[in-house]
Amino acid sequence: MRKLSILIAAGIMAMSAIPVSAQTVGFADAIKILANSCGKDINTYCKKANLGNNEIGLCLQENQSKISAQCNTDRVAVTALLEARFLAQAAVPELCNRDIQQYCKLVKPGNGNQLRCILKAQKVVSKKCNEAIDLAGFR
Amino acid sequence: MTSISLRSTGLAVFAIALCMSLSAPFAQTKLSRNEIINSLQGAQQKVEITADQLRQAAADQIKKYPGDNSTEVLPLAAKLAQLRQFNLEVTFDFNSSRIRPASYETVGLIADALHTPYLAGQRFFVVGHTDAKGDRMYNLELSQRRADAIRDALITTFRVPAGQLAAVGLGEEQLRDPAKPDSEVNRRVQLINIGF
Repeated sequence: MRKLSILIAAGIMAMSAIPVSAQTVGFADAIKILANSCGKDINTYCKKANLGNNEIGLCLQENQSKISAQCNTDRVAVTALLEARFLAQAAVPELCNRDIQQYCKLVKPGNGNQLRCILKAQKVVSKKCNEAIDLAGFR
Repeated sequence: MTSISLRSTGLAVFAIALCMSLSAPFAQTKLSRNEIINSLQGAQQKVEITADQLRQAAADQIKKYPGDNSTEVLPLAAKLAQLRQFNLEVTFDFNSSRIRPASYETVGLIADALHTPYLAGQRFFVVGHTDAKGDRMYNLELSQRRADAIRDALITTFRVPAGQLAAVGLGEEQLRDPAKPDSEVNRRVQLINIGF
């Protein structure tokens, strides 16, 4: 399932004309797709399900034979989009590690301190790190 | 207009910092992640109020000053007012804590903001408020469930670290506009930065 999600995310990125490195969408933009494509089905078939604890995801899956084709496509795509953003955010500390050591060594780690330092140092940090930050939506 | 259409569909609304009406004096453009970040960042180092104290204060208020509407200002309100905070509108089903799909994007925006290095590691109260219609104790309980639902969505669907968020329902005990207790401006979700 997770593998599938990642494949789909890769597919979405590949279809776009924008380079892969500039992709991934924010959580709000991703979940908005779900609301737009599945809102009607959610209000019809998932009257008891809430947004948390994957209740909506499970409910849509259980009702996949009844919900619209668009909703079926997008519920999977949205899961992939969220996953892509989680992965991109988790990858930043490692991809920016050299820059952190070089430019933000004296900043106390934790609470986003070092990444805020890296954000300020945008002009001098490596392309790899800046791209990772863009991909994570941290800017 | 907003209130009529909402009421007729049986929609319960937690507040309006963002008003759709063009005539509103505080009409704003669409809510953005950066707006949330800018309002919340820059916390003081230490806040001495706990979520339990806040919940207790609201429950005590109802016992101490019974009646249809609260007549006194909630203790701790002045302290809370000094903290970095932001008001949001999240719509729920009537008398329910089920977040409506129309508000998924808003919850996602909170997640986008909380995941950035600007707010990482800081702790927040997610405070639910109702207007003054209906029973105070019922409103207190409903607003707690609604605040819990938002916190649940943030920490599961959007993987915000659970330790960063505490959900508190204050019912109608801290109205935004005490002069208009039944007004929809009182229905809101408040994010309050309580520091590291």
